[in-house]
Amino acid sequence: MKIGLISPYAWDVPGGVQAHIRDLAYHYLDQGHQISVLAPASDESSIVEDFVVSAGRPVAIPYNGAVARVLFGPVAASRVRQWVAGGDFDVLHLHEPAIPSLSLLACSIAEGPLVGTFHAAAPRQKVTFAIAPFLEPVIEKLRARIAVSEIARETLRIHLDTDAVVIPNGISKEFFEKAEANPTWRRDLTIGFIGRFSEPRKGLNVLLEAFPRIALALPEVRLLIAGPGEGVEAMESVYPALRSRITFLGRIDDQAKASLLKSISVYVAPNTGGESFGIILTEAMASGVPIVASDIPAFSQLLEDGKYGLLFENENSSDLADKLIRLLKDNDLAQRYSQSGLDHAARFDWNQVGDEIMNVYLHARGEDERVTLLSEARPWSRLFTRGEEE
Amino acid sequence: MEFPVFVIPLFVLFAIWYLTFSATRLDRLHQRVETSWANLDAILQRRASLALELTHFPETDPAANLLLTEAAHHARNADISVRSEAESALTGALLLLRDESWLVEKHPDLFEELDQLTERLKVGISLHLEGVSAARARRSKLIYRVFRLAGKAPLPVKYAFEDDSLVEVQR
Repeated sequence: MKIGLISPYAWDVPGGVQAHIRDLAYHYLDQGHQISVLAPASDESSIVEDFVVSAGRPVAIPYNGAVARVLFGPVAASRVRQWVAGGDFDVLHLHEPAIPSLSLLACSIAEGPLVGTFHAAAPRQKVTFAIAPFLEPVIEKLRARIAVSEIARETLRIHLDTDAVVIPNGISKEFFEKAEANPTWRRDLTIGFIGRFSEPRKGLNVLLEAFPRIALALPEVRLLIAGPGEGVEAMESVYPALRSRITFLGRIDDQAKASLLKSISVYVAPNTGGESFGIILTEAMASGVPIVASDIPAFSQLLEDGKYGLLFENENSSDLADKLIRLLKDNDLAQRYSQSGLDHAARFDWNQVGDEIMNVYLHARGEDERVTLLSEARPWSRLFTRGEEE
Repeated sequence: MEFPVFVIPLFVLFAIWYLTFSATRLDRLHQRVETSWANLDAILQRRASLALELTHFPETDPAANLLLTEAAHHARNADISVRSEAESALTGALLLLRDESWLVEKHPDLFEELDQLTERLKVGISLHLEGVSAARARRSKLIYRVFRLAGKAPLPVKYAFEDDSLVEVQR
């Protein structure tokens, strides 16, 4: 099958959606499918994958508590048109087609077996309601919609009044399960945190507030924080006496992330909101590390209300401290969460998730159907071609 | 102030554009329903033929055999109006066999395919129903009825598949 994937966000900036598309592309390539990915890129030379086509430089806009690098406009539209026309795709899979991006452009330009995946979960937003009437005819063209979680599905239902099939994001279970622990990180009573900690919604503040209480109960405790950003600023809010217990590792690659997860005794996700899935939790589960996470909807759903990890009340640092102390002291409990997480992680393996997405492709596509350009992409040209036909 | 006459042709042009645009939208929705139904139908047909394959095994007892044969034939030849009923009956018949663990062990391939089909059916049904309700909602809008934008396309039918019973076949 020839599959076209579109990333709304810049390929050379790390992010969940980009990682999802890349892994999905590799998974299908391994199965013998043909893949082409269209994505914006700030620096074309940084693209290492030969199946990725750059659509030009993106612009940065603030979106959903983070900065999104997207691409839109007439030049981008002509790149999309070229790519779709030259691709001769069996299926076009658009990611996040409801925000102004390459995906939305492609959705309005192309016709045929189109599938869209909705990643974001956002509360009711007036802006989205305002543009919904313009989005609706475009989004309507998608033969099938995928939401990465129940929360993303709900967001879609509220804003665009349309339902979706829920298929979670994928991970390579084996990669995390087989990773080796790093001896310099490996020690008992180590708490791990991975994420862009400079963004408030990642909740590092909550964790740092809870830390003195944990250190009081467990003097040996250590905290490892990984992610892009300067640790110095965050460190200022910590008691000087405790600073030696906290280490900032900076940005780490996938390999280092997997071995960090293998090295720590508990993974903590204090995110305060804005998450729709929580891929890092599935990765922690696949590594067999017990989890303490805030009870925001996405995490509660992923951990099935505490079945696969301990939940604490969102933004409540003393509750977080209690839960962390409990898990670090109770070896049996930690062991149980580790095992149940490992079992549950299989649900998110690409072998399972890839098959489910392929199934949606097959349902979206009629026999011998291809993705074509909407010959009447412009209203006025549509008027003329109609006139000639009749 | 004089009424600007040039507004009239502009308005007419816009009206024509809007009507063709709306008609295209509905046309696309009809196409989506047709595609999803064709795919769904293909899976249901495959399931019925799998069921018939099961009846050819000497191990299945005659009563189950008869039940299954009838259900499968019925599902295959059912009229659209009774299709979902017939498919649900076949689901029930298959469910009975699915409980016979010795039979499942003897033909793992067949039952594995059956499980896969069930998984695909679930997605297929929800996509199809979604398409049907989208098309029906659009057709019920005033402008579509006044200008008869649906043309001669038949109204998409909602199939009352019993999703839950299909899930059970998997167990």
